[in-house]
Amino acid sequence: MKPILEISHLEKRFGDHLVLKDINFQVDQGEVICVIGSSGSGKSTMLRCINFLEEPTGGRILYHGKDAATEWRRTEYNAKVGMVFQSFNLFSNMSVLENCVAGQMYVLKTPRKEAEEKAVYFLEKVGMGQYRYAKPAQLSGGQKQRVAIARALCMEPEILLFDEPTSALDPEMVGEVLGVMQKLAASGMTMLIVTHEMSFARDVAQRVLFMDGGIILEDAKPAELFTNPKQERTKEFLQRVIARQL
Amino acid sequence: MPANIPSSFFEWVSFLLDKYGALFFKGTVVTLEVALTGTVFGFLLGLIVAIVRTIPLSKKSRAKRIALHVCRFLLGAYIEVFRGTPMIVQSMVIYYGLMQVGVKMPVLAAAIFIVSINTGAYMAEIIRGGIISVDKGQKEATVALGMTHWQGMVHVVLPQAVRNIMPSIGNEFVVNIKDSSVLNVISVGELFFMSKSAAGAYLRYFEVFFITACIYLVLTFSVTRLLRLMEKKMDGQDHYTIYGSQSDSKSSITVQEGGQV
Ligand SMILES: Nc1ncnc2c1ncn2[C@@H]1O[C@H](COP(=O)(O)OP(=O)(O)O)[C@@H](O)[C@H]1O
Ligand SMILES: [Mg+2]
Repeated sequence: MKPILEISHLEKRFGDHLVLKDINFQVDQGEVICVIGSSGSGKSTMLRCINFLEEPTGGRILYHGKDAATEWRRTEYNAKVGMVFQSFNLFSNMSVLENCVAGQMYVLKTPRKEAEEKAVYFLEKVGMGQYRYAKPAQLSGGQKQRVAIARALCMEPEILLFDEPTSALDPEMVGEVLGVMQKLAASGMTMLIVTHEMSFARDVAQRVLFMDGGIILEDAKPAELFTNPKQERTKEFLQRVIARQL
Repeated sequence: MPANIPSSFFEWVSFLLDKYGALFFKGTVVTLEVALTGTVFGFLLGLIVAIVRTIPLSKKSRAKRIALHVCRFLLGAYIEVFRGTPMIVQSMVIYYGLMQVGVKMPVLAAAIFIVSINTGAYMAEIIRGGIISVDKGQKEATVALGMTHWQGMVHVVLPQAVRNIMPSIGNEFVVNIKDSSVLNVISVGELFFMSKSAAGAYLRYFEVFFITACIYLVLTFSVTRLLRLMEKKMDGQDHYTIYGSQSDSKSSITVQEGGQV
């Protein structure tokens, strides 16, 4: 089977600061991939380049074998490649329901009634159905992030990108969001997740990428990467992080 | 001269109100008309300018990029010129300038035109500030969902920007109520102009302008209150309704902001 995403020689520089040097990997249908690495190693920049929130300065991103930058319409591509942000980024002028309806109506041109039905369906899935009339400001962090996931799901994306979805949450809310993500993974959704939650990466991911110095230094199954990392840098990083998490 | 000449301040005030009430009223109507339409048109003008000034530069088309640069330069010049000169001078230049090239605008139209472009220059900066102040992440989320720049602006950024600058818009309205008085230099029959003619007849400047000041104050005060009410309305309810498990809407629970569920 052909991969959904093929990223080759992806490069991103800000001025003369080369943040992504040479990123290469593929994402297959249904794969759950976690991306780990120290702060500032370029994880967010990589995700933001994949959906063109940042314009890459080199390399190619193929989506279903076609160049995402030139052969796909940007809006169509972005609708297919969903994103969940660390800071939720819910539209604060809209209710929870409207947040989930907006993309469907304006991008996919779904009629309102149908869009609302789908919104309710996914809000129920993330356990937020009863909050449909609330405004984002009235929700807790964990609730906001679950709504953000439902909003992304409403577009029926083919792959979901997560940028540290639990890093802005109070500890007691991390579980509810990871729970939703675990359910999603089990349902076969293709996901690329930047996270510091090592146990989640170990239990849920099929592959873990370790990013360091603008490249993917190690790409392995979690069992392998966590118990028997090949690179010295990976070992150091895991020691530091796991010491902190225990 | 009246048969029995008023002798005290209050007698003069009531005498003048009696005699020139209609004049004051007409002046007040014109002032409100000019200030309101000027603020509305100024807002729309400022909105367009601010939107153009925040269009992202196209990476693909060089021609579009250059056109946008030229547009931005011209709009920047417009803002500088109209914020950098007094409205009283602008009125003279525009009104008499147009007259010299053979265009005789009706004064009321000229008044509205001048207040609108003047307000537009201030509004453009206010709205641009409002746009910039909206959380960047929300704009990114619109892009990530596949919305275009326009869709993101219309549905997410501008509603929040406009809500955030409502106090400044109200301020512009109040300023326009007061500053439309400078239009008397081109003989617009607004409140100040009318007051001057009322004062002239009996040379009672203090009493007349005391009344005028009261009218301005009542206008600006009520406008401020009204806008405050509008803001409240825009904010909507500070509570929301939990969608009940029973479909009966009466069984739903209402939660106050910050309340526990
Ligand atoms: N818009 C930007 N302009 C300049 N430098 C940036 C920008 N965004 C990120 N960077 C730099 O890129 C590097 C990687 O950042 P980031 O991708 O956020 O790392 P991570 O998500 O792994 O913590 C950092 O050194 C950061 O300062
Ligand atoms: Mg990051």
